[in-house]
Amino acid sequence: MAQTIRAEMVASVHSIIMAKGDSVVVGDTLVILESMKMEIPVLAEQDGTISEISVAVGDVVREGDIIAIIM
Amino acid sequence: MSSATSGVIELDPRSPRARLMNLFDGGEFTTITPEDDRGVLAAVGRANGTNVVAFCTDPTVQGGAMGNDGCRAIITAYDRALADSSPVIGIWHSGGARLREGVLSLDGVGRVFAAMTRASGKVPQISVVVGPAAGGAAYGPALTDIVIMAPAGRIFVTGPEVVRSVTGEDVNMETLGGAEPHGRRSGVVHITTDSEQEALDRARGLASLLGHQGSLDIDSIADVDLGALMPESARRAYDVHPIVEAFVDEDTFVELHERWAPNIVVGLGRLGGRTTGIVANNPMRLGGCLDSSSAEKAARFVRMCDAFAVPLVVLVDVPGYLPGLGQEWEGVVRRGAKLLHAFAECVVPRVTVVTRKSYGGAYVAMNSSSLGATRVFAWPDAEVAVMGSVAAIRILHRRRLAEVPDDARAQVELELAAEHEVISGGVARAVEIGVVDEVVDPKVTRRAVARVLLDTPGVRGQHGNIPL
Repeated sequence: MAQTIRAEMVASVHSIIMAKGDSVVVGDTLVILESMKMEIPVLAEQDGTISEISVAVGDVVREGDIIAIIM
Repeated sequence: MSSATSGVIELDPRSPRARLMNLFDGGEFTTITPEDDRGVLAAVGRANGTNVVAFCTDPTVQGGAMGNDGCRAIITAYDRALADSSPVIGIWHSGGARLREGVLSLDGVGRVFAAMTRASGKVPQISVVVGPAAGGAAYGPALTDIVIMAPAGRIFVTGPEVVRSVTGEDVNMETLGGAEPHGRRSGVVHITTDSEQEALDRARGLASLLGHQGSLDIDSIADVDLGALMPESARRAYDVHPIVEAFVDEDTFVELHERWAPNIVVGLGRLGGRTTGIVANNPMRLGGCLDSSSAEKAARFVRMCDAFAVPLVVLVDVPGYLPGLGQEWEGVVRRGAKLLHAFAECVVPRVTVVTRKSYGGAYVAMNSSSLGATRVFAWPDAEVAVMGSVAAIRILHRRRLAEVPDDARAQVELELAAEHEVISGGVARAVEIGVVDEVVDPKVTRRAVARVLLDTPGVRGQHGNIPL
């Protein structure tokens, strides 16, 4: 089942760690966001393959915005 | 139904007797109410060696519906728990009030609620929801201190059919009131489990943590370098769970509300053998910000610990309150005030450890010295301030910075920030003005905190534990 990873809060995209096609396991860092003067890793919540990274470095994401999709 | 081969009565696994056998040590207990068709059976026995009172609704009679006699059985259980000063565990599988008894059953259900409220804060109350708990049976667990939900557990006020006819929403019982909505969204349930037996076992563990708190043996406390569990970069968020688990005695931490408001972690564990409550910001979620849900979650936990004489340790790494329209409209001011109130009225020993940073209004809320913390420790690199130094000087020196050419601004900001930290931000200043009592090495933090708890006489808050 595909899993959509969404932003929990307003943040800017600090760095992209994984790319489309990478296989991931639970707990792998996909993207690092920056908010409240902190770098906050966004983690995979299921095993699978990344079918999409929906953000680019410097983007501003809002709560609920899609960050990545894992198949 | 009887077994032809052994002659032993084979119990319906949903019967109160079967469920109470799975709860009590060795499957042994003494009933304190008649075992008939009243829909509830109450008993006394032991859970992990601690004396407890338990009652169980009976879904084999009228779907577990609560009639007047069944409700009286629950009240008998509460009277006994108060007389024995024992934790009380309720096992719920009930469709609510008995329709055929009419208002008489409603009266009974209301008396159960009143009995629960009378016992609130006096004896620990734990609910295990093993099947549907609807209507009146939903508010029974909701009034207790800790609610555990087994996989088949469902809690709702009005069932799917009523919801469909009134609002047109087409939902099943699980979507309406299962582990996912109550564990993650509503905060109704504290613990969800993978099996009914695990749910009963978790209730046993909690009854023993709250009912048999033990005494603190400081010599048993091993030094652990908690600082080694932190990320190298002070800006990097991290999951606080490994630090909490290393802080308490090995394999003793029981987290409550794990998935609801995960930006704060609350739970019970043992420190030097003694039951201790832990409250910790979790920077991995929402940056560890306080928000309306997390403040409410922590406030309820703090008040529960205070009522049951459980000392508190507060691990602080908080950047502030979560900004935003949603938060303000959700009542972050009203709901955040609950945490201020909970800590300020709390009389159990409560020790704060600032591990990395503590800013602004959230600094005050996280068991600050000003709210009456027994002692406030800080790790050597911790920062205690109104806000981060760069953000602060951008406000304090707005005009001056506006005059600085763009290419030089970053450098000027850094210089001003360094200057600002000396006068207002660093831990040295916090110690000087007395809001931090002592700088402590992360390696000896467990022992330092335990020393304070050991040397502070335990009292308990004289209040109930309203489900905030």
